[in-house]
Amino acid sequence: MKHVPRILIIDDEEVVLDSCALILDKGEHELTTAGNGVEGLELVESLRPDLVFVDLKMPGISGFEVLEKIRAIDPSIVTVVITGYATVSSAVEAMKKGAYDFLPKPFTPEELRLITRRGLEKRSLVLETMALKREREIMRENFAAIVSHELKSPLGAVQQNLFAMTRDSGTASEKDKERLEKMKTRIDDLMKLIHKWLRGISVDMASIKENFEPVSVTACIEKAIESTTPEAVRKDVGIADAVHEPIRLVLGDEVSLTEALVNILGNAIKYSHVGTQIAVSTEEKDGRIVTSVTDSGVGIAEEDLPMIFDGFYRAESGKAAAGGVGLGLAITRRIIEAHDGSIAVYSELGKGSTFVLSLPVLRSAPSEEPGTEGVKDTAKGGTG
Amino acid sequence: MSEKAKLLMIDDDPDFVEGIKAILDDAGYDVDVAYNPDDGFKALKSQHYDLLLLDIMMGRGAEGVMIARKMRKDPVLNEMPVLIITGIREQIAFLFPGQAVHPGFVATDELVEKPVEPDLLLEKVSTLLRTAAEKKAT
Repeated sequence: MKHVPRILIIDDEEVVLDSCALILDKGEHELTTAGNGVEGLELVESLRPDLVFVDLKMPGISGFEVLEKIRAIDPSIVTVVITGYATVSSAVEAMKKGAYDFLPKPFTPEELRLITRRGLEKRSLVLETMALKREREIMRENFAAIVSHELKSPLGAVQQNLFAMTRDSGTASEKDKERLEKMKTRIDDLMKLIHKWLRGISVDMASIKENFEPVSVTACIEKAIESTTPEAVRKDVGIADAVHEPIRLVLGDEVSLTEALVNILGNAIKYSHVGTQIAVSTEEKDGRIVTSVTDSGVGIAEEDLPMIFDGFYRAESGKAAAGGVGLGLAITRRIIEAHDGSIAVYSELGKGSTFVLSLPVLRSAPSEEPGTEGVKDTAKGGTG
Repeated sequence: MSEKAKLLMIDDDPDFVEGIKAILDDAGYDVDVAYNPDDGFKALKSQHYDLLLLDIMMGRGAEGVMIARKMRKDPVLNEMPVLIITGIREQIAFLFPGQAVHPGFVATDELVEKPVEPDLLLEKVSTLLRTAAEKKAT
């Protein structure tokens, strides 16, 4: 261990400070004590301890206040409250303020050692998590930059030349023309994969929030249907869009909300059987705009359901049905969560799935939606 | 188009340029190429072009945007139609592929994403040339 953990004990009772100092092995920890909150907080500032014990009942500023201030100074510092009145409520209150655990007085040396060990373990976990998060952020940024330029540029150049070749392929044999087409398809697939992947790792939800404005969910749905219609027609899948007016606006980013809906609809089409219907229904319910997308496709097994919103996951039933990397729903979930909304799924293997998006309505400005159509049909696919 | 329209392409990737130029040459356009922003801007200043094909990410960053800004300040160049061909994935372009995206750098511009389907490329070029000609006529 290169780092000797620093422990600070803030307690007005000298006997507690002394006994703690005796119990906690000197070599293993660097122990500092403070007799009141003010002195304790100064030490927190200067020492940046790993673990702080705080007596809840002290003259001067209270233990609760000390807890709050420590949290403000450095939220990664682990705090444990020492409480003479070991009532559940004061301990709960302290935990709510961010304390990791509590130590009821009087305590045995063994109890103090145990709680110290646990507290320090917690601290190293917190630090490790922070370091990993930082590392992940850096990797995400670097990776996004590398992928976007170093990988996409050469592929784009190859594809552009293939485009030029296939346009001017009068002298090529049929076999060669076929090969060129295959090359184009494969590169196109690869570029789509890179885009999806890139979006999955680099989408910055905080920046989406900066552009929030009143948005009509029904308009987003219309755009999403428009953009997925070619795929639906190809599979002869019909999309019935029912809007139960009136519907108020939500606060959001139209482009990302549409993207979320495109992902949900795209999946519904992808996992639908040829010639079936997808029902999209939107209504306002209890101050939320609720949109459900129901297909009668392959469905999702119960054991797969909890995982489908995680990145790079595809359910067993989905693998056979379609290609893809399994990022669409992860991105969708992040977009919906950035809008303070929620996404839920109900599914039965072999019967189909229903995805339900719920977004809070924009309260301040109630607005009449243009258009009075109650139920309308869009994108009737093929001949059925 | 009665006479050959003269186009300039500014892009730092010669292989990509080759793929675009082949399509445009074949369609009867006269295409000049500059492989860096400086040469490109010099070419723009030294002779008349009917349209500019501009890459965004060149050199140390979004140097294509710098060219567009300089053009905007120039009363003559601001009138020249610009087709931005970029690898930067615009969300809009991603959601509505093929639909018109106008970045608004100069009076008449549009954005397409690399690589560009030949039909889309030719359509955008002829539309931009026509729009700019109409604007000039009024």
